[in-house]
Amino acid sequence: MPSDEGVLDRLVDWVHTTDVFKCVASWTLVPYWARRTPVKPLPGGPHPSFQHGDNVQCMMNLIMPLKVKSPIGRAEAALAIAKNKDAIYAGLNNVGTVHFARFVIVGDNICMFSVYDGDFTNYIRDFIATIGEVFNEVVKLVEGGKKVIPCEKNVEAFIQWVHEHDLYQVPDTATDFLRDQEDLKGDRAVSPVDDDLTLLPRKLVLQLRANANISLGSGYRAYPGFSVAQVRKHLKLGW
Amino acid sequence: MINLADLQGNILRGYTKKPHVRYLILEVVDRSAARLWLAASVSGRNGVPQITSGDWGENKPDTCFNIGLTYEGLCALGTPSASLKMFPNEFVEGMTARALKLGDVGASAPEKWPAPFNEPKRIHLIATIYAEKFEQLNEVQKRALPDEKAFRLLGTREGYNFPGDFVHFGYRDNITQPRFEGVHDPERYPDRQPRAPLGTVLLGHPTNLEGLMWRVPHPVALGHNGTFNAFRVLKQHVADFERYLDRAASYLLEHPQGYELLPRGEEEKIGKGPSRRAALREIVAANLCGRWRDGTPLALSADAPDPNVDLTDFDYVGVGDARCPHGAHIRRCNPRGGQIVQRIANNSRRLVRRGVPYGPPYNPDGPLYDPAKPYDGDEPERGLLGNFIGASLGAQFEAMSCDWLNLGLQDPRITGSNDPISGTNDPGTSWFDLPLKSGDTIRLHGLPEFVSTRGGAYTFLPSLKAIEYLGSPM
Ligand code: HEM
Repeated sequence: MPSDEGVLDRLVDWVHTTDVFKCVASWTLVPYWARRTPVKPLPGGPHPSFQHGDNVQCMMNLIMPLKVKSPIGRAEAALAIAKNKDAIYAGLNNVGTVHFARFVIVGDNICMFSVYDGDFTNYIRDFIATIGEVFNEVVKLVEGGKKVIPCEKNVEAFIQWVHEHDLYQVPDTATDFLRDQEDLKGDRAVSPVDDDLTLLPRKLVLQLRANANISLGSGYRAYPGFSVAQVRKHLKLGW
Repeated sequence: MINLADLQGNILRGYTKKPHVRYLILEVVDRSAARLWLAASVSGRNGVPQITSGDWGENKPDTCFNIGLTYEGLCALGTPSASLKMFPNEFVEGMTARALKLGDVGASAPEKWPAPFNEPKRIHLIATIYAEKFEQLNEVQKRALPDEKAFRLLGTREGYNFPGDFVHFGYRDNITQPRFEGVHDPERYPDRQPRAPLGTVLLGHPTNLEGLMWRVPHPVALGHNGTFNAFRVLKQHVADFERYLDRAASYLLEHPQGYELLPRGEEEKIGKGPSRRAALREIVAANLCGRWRDGTPLALSADAPDPNVDLTDFDYVGVGDARCPHGAHIRRCNPRGGQIVQRIANNSRRLVRRGVPYGPPYNPDGPLYDPAKPYDGDEPERGLLGNFIGASLGAQFEAMSCDWLNLGLQDPRITGSNDPISGTNDPGTSWFDLPLKSGDTIRLHGLPEFVSTRGGAYTFLPSLKAIEYLGSPM
């Protein structure tokens, strides 16, 4: 097929792939855009859905910056988890809706990744009720954590704080991402959603500027979602 | 001991002798006039109906009057922003923002709600009048809204308690309510559940989750002894419900294990005459709810309704576990001491329920349901005006609605199914298991949505002190 692409088009298509352009854009263009079109960070956690399958095996990805940014701070965090291992197992058992929980230290962040069933707030609330003191010991090491502990006495604020640290899960389709972006405007959101795909790269860059850490997708499963109890029951482990 | 005079009366009392109920859905017109109105309502000055408290003293009130405020209502009254910030998220966002959690999708989606619920931000205050006689509703309404200085009436909803506490679908309701620690409650039936701590229903008191307290909005006068209410207009598709019972009965008549549900020759025990079909319909209805339509709990009498068994003194352990379906409405809403996945959640999500049917009975001339009556034609709107009251909307009403009623997370045997009565069912995917004595189950399919949401709002039910505080000059 004959191309009617002109020289200028080819230049525009090529220029943004060059390192020089990326460097200049990061320092000048992106901050300029961001000032002109301020973008709020998109909220974390799974996308609200009414499908049963979407409401089991949900992901939580918490990235919590440590107050003490040194090997000492990281060691404190490692010890807080190690010390409470038994309590964590007891909590998993009593809450009953968590598939697994992982604690990871990346840079100067303590990260908690978990896969849980059902509503996020119920999951966190039930955990507060079972092993609130473990949360307190970890969260006191984290920037801004002090104001939400003890979590037992600050249930609503604590859940909100955790939610704010949970990574935004970028949807798998571009239109869903554009819809999320539009939803941020609340009452001013336009309908139907402005789904101009040519704006996608720009919106993604601006969102990633506001929201440095994100989750790509909501976890890819090799099989449909089942709840913890369904798995345990099927494997005759008791639930 | 709690000071009942500081609580709005509808929190702990059912007002059972006042069957006529009207909801006035109001918008604040003028802040100062609305505040004066609130101040007057505490003592019933200037003709404004007096708020009914939980302490009636010697004289029973002729009519009762209570109020709830939405977040927008608190803003419109000029509540300081430091106080507003302390209200929980779900209340601040409002019911329509929580639609997915509550299963308000499809026909129940807030975009389809009729006025005044189509403009949720304008709903500021919902006042409720309870009366013995219908005329009293008008009389109290006139006193409450003599003009449009303080409030504009956006709409009303009205219900009537059918004799015997029956609701559409023909079940007896208003049986179970939590009994509270420290509250003398002679009217209520005893049950095997632990008394609920006061924090289940009032802010500022210990909750059922050990050591946990919900945030009490400041100042103390505003938050303490207040609570939250999920007001719901729930349309019931009664003809669809009865039609479904027919279909299920036909299916069971043919089912090879149908005799396990109802041994031949035992049809009359069900109380619907000798017809096997009629008896099977009742068995299905009983299983969907967890109670026979007369209220008899399946946990105590699974084979037939029995007026002699206790209505509330049962649990889902031992025999009671096997007899009541795991997915039955009352078991999903309150698993009592039975095994559930979220072990610490037993007894923690309890709600005070105050509901009244609206719309005409299915068969006004006789029993609520008459199989001889043709189903077809347009069904008039009818349903339940429900109030689901608890100190935390998130931990109680919403937790129950999303994880228990509509996901069935509490028990792997029902996970992935919705509540058969009030759940957001899709006939293409819905299912419900009827337990058999052998331990097997018969699975029913194709349940449609029997209940759709037609409006509602989250409201804060302030204490009398709080109403006084909100009514003070700014
Ligand atoms: C139109 C819709 C509904 C109908 C017809 C209905 C009907 C009933 C009936 C007949 C009972 C048994 C009576 C009793 O134990 O007092 C009951 C109990 C109950 N319902 Fe519903 N219901 C509806 C919606 C809901 C919703 C939306 C919820 C909660 C979100 C709910 C929560 C409860 C609870 C907590 C109980 C008491 C269970 C117990 O403690 O044993 N209901 N309902």
